[in-house]
Amino acid sequence: MDVREPMRGIPSPTFSSRFLIVTLGGRYLALSAESLCGLLIPEETGNIDNQTVHGKVYGAINLADRLSLPNDQGGANTRIVLLSEREARGSIRVTTVHGLLELQQSQVLPLPMQFSGPERHWYRGMILFAKSIALILNTTWILHQQVSDLEGSGTGRHA
Amino acid sequence: MLRTGHAHQWETARQSCQLLVFSVGGRRLAVKTLDVSGISQWNESIPIAGLTPFVTAVVRQGQTVLPVFDLAASLHLTVHGNSLLCLRVKHPLGEMVMCIDEEIPVLHTFDLSVIQTYHGKDLPAEGSYTNGLDEIPILSVSRLGSTV
Repeated sequence: MDVREPMRGIPSPTFSSRFLIVTLGGRYLALSAESLCGLLIPEETGNIDNQTVHGKVYGAINLADRLSLPNDQGGANTRIVLLSEREARGSIRVTTVHGLLELQQSQVLPLPMQFSGPERHWYRGMILFAKSIALILNTTWILHQQVSDLEGSGTGRHA
Repeated sequence: MLRTGHAHQWETARQSCQLLVFSVGGRRLAVKTLDVSGISQWNESIPIAGLTPFVTAVVRQGQTVLPVFDLAASLHLTVHGNSLLCLRVKHPLGEMVMCIDEEIPVLHTFDLSVIQTYHGKDLPAEGSYTNGLDEIPILSVSRLGSTV
């Protein structure tokens, strides 16, 4: 049998993905673990907006503002999530971090087609979480503004 | 969770249509029963940040997540009652739900000859029928979200 031929009777490999589940503005959101660079507590950052970690600047992104969600980050459980994708980096403040969730690709639900606005670019799908759902955020979209800002300033931001 | 309209229990083969008559904000509307896939108690919806008009939430029913079309908001109305109902309909893009008044929907069978053109512009309709002084529009489910 050719080794390249698929073996019958053996399930094809399933691909799993890991997500960081957070709360922001009372909504569950999921961030792909592949884009995570770190988690900070506000006290560690000295309340500086743009974080510099290992010489790399993670510009502050107001995700609540971009999603028109209530700005409820400021409690004891507030965390700063550092994100990166290719050359783009940014940090977002979230109300609570719930933890990592590993899921099969089949467990990721598509956003219903009735959502036809720009939000189709904001989310990559949905996950059943607790008795609710968590929306999987599109990291590329989150960091896009950051890239635009950096390109606009020419030199980038500094903490 | 349905009542039958006893006044309209007549039927002519191939010339009748079955409608489900329900209320939103006290306004009576109808929908073809073929477009309906279920009615249940309304559970809390989960808001989704987005910019699609009147589609701003989902509901979770077990392992299924369905988009919510806010029919009341599209009609500038507010649903009535403390025990609201969830009307699940078949939309070309997939099933979706609407929150309707707590008043129990009623099944009616109509002769097609009583169905007339609906001239209102407030909702997509396949026609309407007259009940006393009221004109009851028959909702075009397939056009919800595209023309309102």
